[in-house]
Amino acid sequence: MRRSVVVVGAGPAGMAAAIEAAARGCEVTVLDESARPGGQIYRQADPRLSGTEFAEPTELSRKKRLLRRFDEILHAIHYRANTIAYAAFGNGEIHVQVGDRTEVLKPDAVVLATGMRERAIPFPGWTLPGVMFAGGAQAILKAQRTSPGRIAVVAGCGPLPIVVASQLTRAGTRVAALASLRSPLAILRSPAGMWHGRDIMREGLRYGRSLLRASVPRLTGYIPIRALGKERLEGVQMARVDEQGHALPGTTREIACDLLAINYGFIANSELAAMAGARIRHDPDGGFWLPETDDEGRTSLPWLFAAGDTAGLRGALVAESEGAIVGAAAASAVRTVATSDALTEAIAARRRYSRFARVVRQTLVVPVALWRTATDDTVVCRCENVLLSELRSALENGHHSLNAIKRNARPGMGWCGGRMCLHSVAVLAELHAGVAPGKMMTPRPMARPVPFAALAQQKRAVEP
Amino acid sequence: MSTRFEFSFEGKPVTAHEGQSVAAALLDAGERCLRIDEAGNAKGAVCAIGVCWECRCSIDGIPDTRACVTEARPGMIVYRQHGLSPCADP
Repeated sequence: MRRSVVVVGAGPAGMAAAIEAAARGCEVTVLDESARPGGQIYRQADPRLSGTEFAEPTELSRKKRLLRRFDEILHAIHYRANTIAYAAFGNGEIHVQVGDRTEVLKPDAVVLATGMRERAIPFPGWTLPGVMFAGGAQAILKAQRTSPGRIAVVAGCGPLPIVVASQLTRAGTRVAALASLRSPLAILRSPAGMWHGRDIMREGLRYGRSLLRASVPRLTGYIPIRALGKERLEGVQMARVDEQGHALPGTTREIACDLLAINYGFIANSELAAMAGARIRHDPDGGFWLPETDDEGRTSLPWLFAAGDTAGLRGALVAESEGAIVGAAAASAVRTVATSDALTEAIAARRRYSRFARVVRQTLVVPVALWRTATDDTVVCRCENVLLSELRSALENGHHSLNAIKRNARPGMGWCGGRMCLHSVAVLAELHAGVAPGKMMTPRPMARPVPFAALAQQKRAVEP
Repeated sequence: MSTRFEFSFEGKPVTAHEGQSVAAALLDAGERCLRIDEAGNAKGAVCAIGVCWECRCSIDGIPDTRACVTEARPGMIVYRQHGLSPCADP
């Protein structure tokens, strides 16, 4: 019987891991929530939709190349689209939902390539329809062939707002302002790091040029402090912030818009790693809670691996090369594989793009003072409508661990499972009660909402 | 060119392209509010990738269906949810 490797996620890390593990003779299963492979960065539109996704041709050719390589191994693996891994246990079981039924898998090794989600920072009015993540707006441009707004303000830090603002203008949306926490030119202070990512920098410059051509107004050092409107977004109040992220009085200005697209970096999808019992480390701007991994993606559990952004924010190119390295490591963990030098290229690419990622990462450092924008009546947990005032009274009543805060004030108890708010709860607990944010809440099944009917229809894999 | 068809949102016809999500078709139609939450707040699409669950609607009678990851189909019946009840007029 062939030894089995399950890869969770079909983004760059997952696809590359599957390719390498399959090449080394493992029985590979790829589980992915989406209908088509690609993950978030290489998200694909339904083939029946015509049109373009407004991305740079070089980015599109990277996407096409990896998707083609994945397509070539599809006949040799089990690729399962629309399949949601909602639990991982210390005994090596992975529980998945497929439509109206569930299954329990018990492979010999698991590679988590679950990527990241966007980091939300609550502020007054941020629950209004029209306030979106910048990556969310981009997902609509990529896969839906439409724009999520007519007049947009794009804000946040790091490269994504620049790319999204540019793609929105290409899609015909008027970008009323592109606001950034700090000047994107700060990256010029690290010429060596930039050199390692020169191809990506060139793409960035092309996006920048299209912003200039479209005469998009730039607001450097500004953040959104209040979303305005009743039933939907009508405008946004922006304010200038100092180096520490404190809004400066007398600097506010209002801009009319029907879309506010924000990105403040990313949070790792590390719930399955934590649920399985892997050791977790805290890295505030690199994904917040991350599984501890070695160079080949081994977590503290012998059967569990993590690759790409799940193991620390470094972007798609590191994810692809690391996926290959980790896929090969997972294969050698479950069967004797003749050593191969085929990984030389992946190792070099990971080293090179990791150096670039360290430079980009400086642009994603967010001062905790940004969480001071939230007022007492600001919603922190959107699912359960937990206000900052309620969170503060829980803290004043001595509920300091995330588990205790969650039990007493309900943040993280709703539909999203805390994926939108728990990092903010941790930061706010630090800000308002001096609690160290290091410890994650105890992750329990389900990592995603699963209907009871699907749990009742559960199939268990035959033990090998 | 992709094929166009109609589905219904709050009893009114909405046009979608074949292969589009319910959320994208509603954004195209200018519909921003996809749900009224338990506290009476209007909510719309936020993450657009199935993480936040803010865009959940009643779709063909099934409540709490994420509009952003559900493909629009001809004749679909979509309603806003109000608080904990699946739709305004159950």
